[in-house]
Amino acid sequence: MNKKRLFQILARADREEVIQLGNKIKQECHSVTVVKQPEKTLTMIKMREPVKNSLFYLGEIIVTEATVTMDGSTGVAVTMGDDFDKTLSMAMIDAACNAGVFHYEELLIAWESEQHLQIEKENAMMQKTKVDFHSMDSEVST
Amino acid sequence: MAYVAVSGGEEAIAASIQLLDYYRSGSEKELDIDALVHQLGLMIDKVMSESGLYAKEYAALALKQCEGSTEEAVFLLRAYRSTLKRSHYTNIADTKAMRIIRRISAAFKDIPGGQLLGASYDYTHRLIRFDEERSSGGRLHETFKKILADQQPEAIQSYGRVSDMLKKEGLLDTYPQDDTMPYDVTEKLLEFPAPRSARLQTMTRADTGFLSGLAYSVLRGFGQVHPTVGELRCGYLELTIPYPDAEGESIYLGEILITEVETFAQSSDEDGLKLASGYGAVFGRNENKAIAMAVIDREIERGGDYAAQDEEFVLMHGDCLEMNGFISHLKLPHYVTFQSKLDAVRKTRRNTK
Repeated sequence: MNKKRLFQILARADREEVIQLGNKIKQECHSVTVVKQPEKTLTMIKMREPVKNSLFYLGEIIVTEATVTMDGSTGVAVTMGDDFDKTLSMAMIDAACNAGVFHYEELLIAWESEQHLQIEKENAMMQKTKVDFHSMDSEVST
Repeated sequence: MAYVAVSGGEEAIAASIQLLDYYRSGSEKELDIDALVHQLGLMIDKVMSESGLYAKEYAALALKQCEGSTEEAVFLLRAYRSTLKRSHYTNIADTKAMRIIRRISAAFKDIPGGQLLGASYDYTHRLIRFDEERSSGGRLHETFKKILADQQPEAIQSYGRVSDMLKKEGLLDTYPQDDTMPYDVTEKLLEFPAPRSARLQTMTRADTGFLSGLAYSVLRGFGQVHPTVGELRCGYLELTIPYPDAEGESIYLGEILITEVETFAQSSDEDGLKLASGYGAVFGRNENKAIAMAVIDREIERGGDYAAQDEEFVLMHGDCLEMNGFISHLKLPHYVTFQSKLDAVRKTRRNTK
């Protein structure tokens, strides 16, 4: 699983479940050291605009970041918001992945399926607002 | 003339600050932040956009603290933002891949992917629903939980831009990819002529009312003719940053809701063989601000003598914090400067007698 997918699943997941998973990994007697305690920081959003195909800054978001090491492997997490506990658990999960000791990929995939389902159900509500145009007068429709 | 410090009034000031809370104490009911985020979403979007900081809960908290004053909430958020360091810049966010929740065009009836009305007040009767809105809390939440659960999932699709159609036909100019590092108006003072990136960043942070008023002036004749909204889209934009020390890997940070608009207008070229476009993008669901931004973007590009075409005028007078700060300072003591003005008038009167 690539990092983007991993962090997308974790960012969208319920905080309690992520924290629980983080604790489980910690209990599996891996030596975990917090290198950088969770802290809030800013991230500037860089965007491309379509008129001149150039870049500009849309504004900032608040993210929380943390770094840990586990069995000599480093794990990082950066995620939107200010949830310190969740971010720390995300860093532990990342470290476990990097150390090759993460055994819960199937669980993450199950979370992901549920997340997609919810997004697609919401999308179904949006799609009901799609307009089906019918021209009422052939002369003005051209 | 030097400024003169005066003392006195400390106790009065402390009592004045306490009185602010008195004005929030009239009800036993407390405003819940979660309820504010979900039920005053458009107001929160506006505050986030004007403060240049996408943080819903913090915007709600700021609004609660200052009795719903947009400019005070913007002040609080900007002040808080200044206490944090900035550690990251996102990868270039791709709005073509946005998860669209609304997308319309006033230029073409048929657009690839179709027109999606999404949620819009445009088709509502503006009537207060007295009974419904007075009903108990949580009613809407429960209703929509059920509606959502009953939906048949539909796969997400991405929507191309309407302007790409015109670019393919050669009716709009195309430009090579420009990866110049954007100018950052939060770190550097504006200089004129401003780079395009500084213009767009300044406008997306600008006061909604200021941009709307200026765009209105354009439409009423103090600018170019009536532009057409080529595309208005609202959706979730995915944000990522590079994963440290790993080529090609990235960290997904989350997604933000934005509104993006492209307007089409007459080109300034002599032969009139092409159209020109303007661009607006803002935090949240804030359509009029995004449209206004796109209208003014085009006006500044075109240039001219009207207010909306004057880059310095537009970019220097639209910041919510700056404009309100400057106007607000007028009510602070100007005892010495006013005495000097009075002296001057008295002296002139004496001389004329």
